[in-house]
Amino acid sequence: MRSLPRLRQQSPRGDAVIPDALTVLYDSTCALCVRCRDWLSKQEAFVPLRFMACGSKEAREMYGSVPWLGEELVVVSDHGDVWAGPAAFITALWALREWREWSYRISGPELAPLAERFFHAISSNRRSIAAMIAPDSCEGGTCRVPHAYR
Amino acid sequence: METPYLVPVYAVYATVTLALTVFLARTLFRNGAVFLEDVFKDTPKLGEAVNRLLVVGFYLVNLGYAALIMKATGADTVVEAVEVLAWKLGALLMSLAFMHFVNLFVFYRIRRRSRIAQLPPPVLPQMQLPAYYVSPNAFAPPVAAAVPAR
Repeated sequence: MRSLPRLRQQSPRGDAVIPDALTVLYDSTCALCVRCRDWLSKQEAFVPLRFMACGSKEAREMYGSVPWLGEELVVVSDHGDVWAGPAAFITALWALREWREWSYRISGPELAPLAERFFHAISSNRRSIAAMIAPDSCEGGTCRVPHAYR
Repeated sequence: METPYLVPVYAVYATVTLALTVFLARTLFRNGAVFLEDVFKDTPKLGEAVNRLLVVGFYLVNLGYAALIMKATGADTVVEAVEVLAWKLGALLMSLAFMHFVNLFVFYRIRRRSRIAQLPPPVLPQMQLPAYYVSPNAFAPPVAAAVPAR
């Protein structure tokens, strides 16, 4: 696995490409991630979001070249831009009407290191967090949480 | 109790209040239109309506408040009359100033909300997928070796 590059801010001016759609590649074997996906899909978004389980055949075929697939949250734009890890969390927030301002706030120079650590902590402990929130008899909280699946 | 100067105080107060409110409302209407034109580019009629409604609210609050604070206890001498009038106009001007800044803030918020919709993601992508992932239909399945759209 290639190591994840650090967060780098993008200037709001300039020639930055604005995605018209985002594909969110999440871990469908983790209850917390599934809940987050459900939350995300219910929010009002500026750009359409598509969700894909990172372990699915489709995802492997389309995005197999992304080295972080399956390890980190991955967001891919319709232009082929790839965000992974904390940057993917921030980009997912950016897509939402209510949270775009926050995506800018937390990726600013003061809060970015903190946000990076926070999302890393959540991401790498996702199974134990899920088990803590919704304890079930399954190992690592990987079982289905009631209502988490539609 | 004889308060011979109360009626002139009321008359001056009412005149100044009306004149000030009308002047400020017109200023607000004219200059607010510039802001709203920028925000409601594709629906100019809606912008006009919002502007008009804001001005109506401004009139209602100002005239209502001015009417509420009109009552004075007495003005037996010219000096007292001037003092009472000055106090009332001061209170009125402060409330108008407050309303004015509230209005400016509302315009600022409306404008910011519309600007934020056109901003790129706050963080730079970590990698770029090959061009053949790009498809004109955002969520169409990838077509191998399709013409790059970028």
